[in-house]
Amino acid sequence: MIQARRRFTDAFASGALWGAACFVVLMLAALVGYLIYLGGSAISWHFLTGMSSEMNAGGGVGPQIYNSFYILILTLVFTVPVSLAAGIYLQEYAATGWFRSAVQFSAESLATVPSIVMGLFGLLVFVQTLRWGFSALAGALTLTVLNLPALTRVTQEALASVPGTLREASMAVGGTKWQTVLRIVLPSSIGPLTTGIVLISGRIFGETAALIYTAGTSVAHGRAAYDLSPLRPAETLAVHLWYTHSEALIPDVTRIGNGSALVLLMMVLIFNVVARVVGRALTMHITRKA
Amino acid sequence: MIAGNANNAHRNESVALALLKSASAFFIVSIVVLLGYLTFEGTKLFTVDHKSIFEFLFSPTFSPDTGQVGAAPFILGSLFVTGFAIAVGGPFGLAVGVFFSELAPPRVAAAMKPAIEVLVGIPSVVYGWLGLTLLVPLIRNMTGSTGFGLLSAGIVLSLMILPTVISLAEDAMRVVPNSLREGSLALGATRWETISRVLVPAARSGLAVAVILGIARAIGEALAIQMVLGNSPTIPHGLLNAASALTSEIVMDMGGAIQGSVTQHALFSMALLLLLIAMSLIVLVKFVVRRAT
Repeated sequence: MIQARRRFTDAFASGALWGAACFVVLMLAALVGYLIYLGGSAISWHFLTGMSSEMNAGGGVGPQIYNSFYILILTLVFTVPVSLAAGIYLQEYAATGWFRSAVQFSAESLATVPSIVMGLFGLLVFVQTLRWGFSALAGALTLTVLNLPALTRVTQEALASVPGTLREASMAVGGTKWQTVLRIVLPSSIGPLTTGIVLISGRIFGETAALIYTAGTSVAHGRAAYDLSPLRPAETLAVHLWYTHSEALIPDVTRIGNGSALVLLMMVLIFNVVARVVGRALTMHITRKA
Repeated sequence: MIAGNANNAHRNESVALALLKSASAFFIVSIVVLLGYLTFEGTKLFTVDHKSIFEFLFSPTFSPDTGQVGAAPFILGSLFVTGFAIAVGGPFGLAVGVFFSELAPPRVAAAMKPAIEVLVGIPSVVYGWLGLTLLVPLIRNMTGSTGFGLLSAGIVLSLMILPTVISLAEDAMRVVPNSLREGSLALGATRWETISRVLVPAARSGLAVAVILGIARAIGEALAIQMVLGNSPTIPHGLLNAASALTSEIVMDMGGAIQGSVTQHALFSMALLLLLIAMSLIVLVKFVVRRAT
């Protein structure tokens, strides 16, 4: 009798855990399906490449998509070298001591700073103190600080996945520490490293709160919208979705919103798939060569 | 020649180390500058405008144009939606984390994991848009309220903290040594008894960290909740009331605030408060981890 009850509890609890996990996955599927249903009809070539409109219906999001990629690339230019260096230092070099603890605590603190607070920090430093105004560069540097901790974490984990025997072998044939890191450890970790960078790129692409008061909520019109200068206001697609809903005057807010939401979702899915495929391919490539 | 090479290698070594160290030092500089700037701007409300901290924290009236800077409605709003998200999303996330670590067959885990990563990647405005187009009308039809309010924001946030809680809970369960599982099962315990009486207690500090970082995620979220909260700067009386939170109020008012105005100072004080909450959660995590080891 007691045995039966214990077995029943076990089955019931297992069922509940299975149910919770399936619920999460089904809900995600439902949300993706719903966004496709909403946004499918809004997306056209004209929507993806056309100029946005302030007052009239029928605008597109071409400049916003351009700005999203522009800020993403600019952010990566700053974030990747710094977080690679910090990750290498923390994983390969740093002995335990006050400096390492201070860096680690700073990284953990930075990682929990809410992105809207980071946005205000960017507003104070880049937009106001340095007088750059709302600009792509201010936005990109704000996102750099915001994403450094995550990317450093990725670097550390990628380096940690390289077996210690490779390091020992390199040092045994006379390689210095730096030569070992540069020529052996870093190339061996290229797979997980790439996966991590691409996944974080997806997050940078969709970031909004930190950009509203740094990169701004406006775009130029005509050819000036595709300006290469980092010192111009640069509304991204995610910011555009928020801005059209809350402030804009156009009559087809819902269409623009549905379309933008779907494009953002698709980008997340694409970044996820690319991260996995490229990461795996690079790992295969490097292990076959070795 | 050989000596020259060795010298070069040695010089490269010290240059590299200096570069790596300065990149790491950038973290310390960033957090110090950030704290400095926000503390400076965030205390101007008290030092320049001579408002009392007491009024800021406890007064229910926020109308900076007339000199009233009570942020209590936003503090309560933030605490409420965060509490809701943790009450709903917390247990759910822990359950799914335990599932991935203890129950999921490798194939099922491999199929489901990418879904969790997609949930992390979806931008918060898209969550907000979903709340706006799906949840708000649903709640409006079911209750006759506007649909905007604490309930909508709480539900959206519950979903948004799930991936954080799930992955940290899974990690916490995975570091429990297998000998505990084997020992418990060998004594005749069922799998659920092993999970609930052996593994979860053993992983409790890690699970607590998962929940704390879920709270940090929830309290800092701005746009998704701003889009569904209804943005009313008053103390809410019920789940269906429109409300505002610290983050959403900053998003709403910063654009129109004049540099150096009381409004802007009050908003920076709210940002400073958020920063202090986030930092104390990190200190709490450190404390929990240290006590466990």
